Amino acid sequence: MTAMFRAILYIQWKWSHLIIVLGTVAGFAIPLLSLQGAARADRGALQTPELLRAVQSWGTLYPLLATALGLLMAIAAWAADHRGRHIHALTLPLERWRYVLLRFGAGFVLLAAPIAAVLIGSSLAVLTATLPPGLQAYPIGLAVRFALAVFVAYAVFFAVSAGTARTAGIILAAIAAIILVQVVAGIANIDLNLFGVAQTVLLLGPGPLAVFTARWMLVDV
Amino acid sequence: MNNAIDIERLHYRVGKAFEIKDLDLHIPTGSIYGFLGPNGSGKTTTIRLILGLLRPLSGRITVLGDPMPEQHARVLGRIGYVPEQPHLDGTLTVRELIDFQSAFYPRWDRTRADELVQRFELDGDQLFGRLSKGQKAKLMILLALAQCGDLLVLDEPTDGLDPVVRRDILSALLTYVSERRATIFISSHLVHELERVCDWVAVMDNGRLITEAPMEKLKHGTKRLIVTGAPGEISNAPFRVLIREATNGAGENWVVGDWEPGMTSFFDGLGATVRDVIDLDLEDGFVELLRSFRTKAGGRA
Repeated sequence: MTAMFRAILYIQWKWSHLIIVLGTVAGFAIPLLSLQGAARADRGALQTPELLRAVQSWGTLYPLLATALGLLMAIAAWAADHRGRHIHALTLPLERWRYVLLRFGAGFVLLAAPIAAVLIGSSLAVLTATLPPGLQAYPIGLAVRFALAVFVAYAVFFAVSAGTARTAGIILAAIAAIILVQVVAGIANIDLNLFGVAQTVLLLGPGPLAVFTARWMLVDV
Repeated sequence: MNNAIDIERLHYRVGKAFEIKDLDLHIPTGSIYGFLGPNGSGKTTTIRLILGLLRPLSGRITVLGDPMPEQHARVLGRIGYVPEQPHLDGTLTVRELIDFQSAFYPRWDRTRADELVQRFELDGDQLFGRLSKGQKAKLMILLALAQCGDLLVLDEPTDGLDPVVRRDILSALLTYVSERRATIFISSHLVHELERVCDWVAVMDNGRLITEAPMEKLKHGTKRLIVTGAPGEISNAPFRVLIREATNGAGENWVVGDWEPGMTSFFDGLGATVRDVIDLDLEDGFVELLRSFRTKAGGRA
């Protein structure tokens, strides 16, 4: 099983190394850039509110990066199998669930690089900056949150990408149906807010995507 | 275990357009079994059922002693498969594909793989997507042979290839069989090619099996007869009448199966005369079998 995993890891790296390298650079740079306004030996510091605002606006990039990485890695993981109509994968001598798990695991192992970059970049940013009194740095917390977001995004997109065009069609049809119902309800003056419900269920705690909407602050009170 | 593959009363349907019905196949262990049929006859679907890629509606498939698709993971480790269309990722090199494949097969023979790379003159650094059709086919055969399986399932492996490449591939297959006593199940519509290498043959059309027989029996048992004076209806014939039609001149043109020398005496009893017994090669026999099957199927419909 180790040899199989190594083989899958290698080809998945070959397919997605550009995504990983760019994601790692971005993951390293964002925390450093977010604290560039903090006090350093050679210049003065931003006031606490300005610094928090800067950190918060840079913080919106973490969930976006996590989503982009999850999406692109999931597409890369299945693209070759889709092109070959899954014949090669289905004729390999292992259970299908095991193959899917190996593919998923290989992708997640590769995503460890941008996650580690966020941790290292955050730690470095905090170490080289002088924070105003009353503010705390959370490099590990941020990195763990980023790891969780990457995992969730990758898992969701991996599951969707694994499906057939029919599966994608069903998902799109479901979304279209929700939009249609919402539009019809609006025309008919019916008090129905499906988007609000969807947002509450999915994005607010303890929804499955709540990790994306939390505060992404490297430095906070 | 006498048969490498046993298929019994297999039923499979794709939508309303096509179905495989009541299919029985028995592929003897150690044989080179040719699976003939025109395009769209169900050969590839049958192969996918054998490999466990598709699930039948009913019937039983046993491959190397194990039921399929239930035991597909175990069975596929002993099968080398070459699909009709090469399905490998075009962005990987020949060497990367060989390394990838080797990780999944415990009996992988690295020496054989290296030897075949040399013999087929493949460049290990070449991307699969940049290989010619012949080189792709050779690589697919290499991957199937280096797995050291007990069964090779080949779906039109030489279709569209030039004669030199075809010869290289068939030669590699025959060497493999002689060394390992493996079974080969090879589908094709290139009748002459199968005639040279196979010892068993089955013919399929429109999802139905027309015949399954040892190659020698099919080749030597299918004859064209020129008959005069035969009555309109005959019964208890010791051979199968595939086609019976009037000729331009006197007499009738019969195509028969399961023919054996000495059967002309049957016609003497009918007061008829066999004026000539003409040998048919496999291709002629194949065409006549198809014609007979389609005529009967058309008659039933």
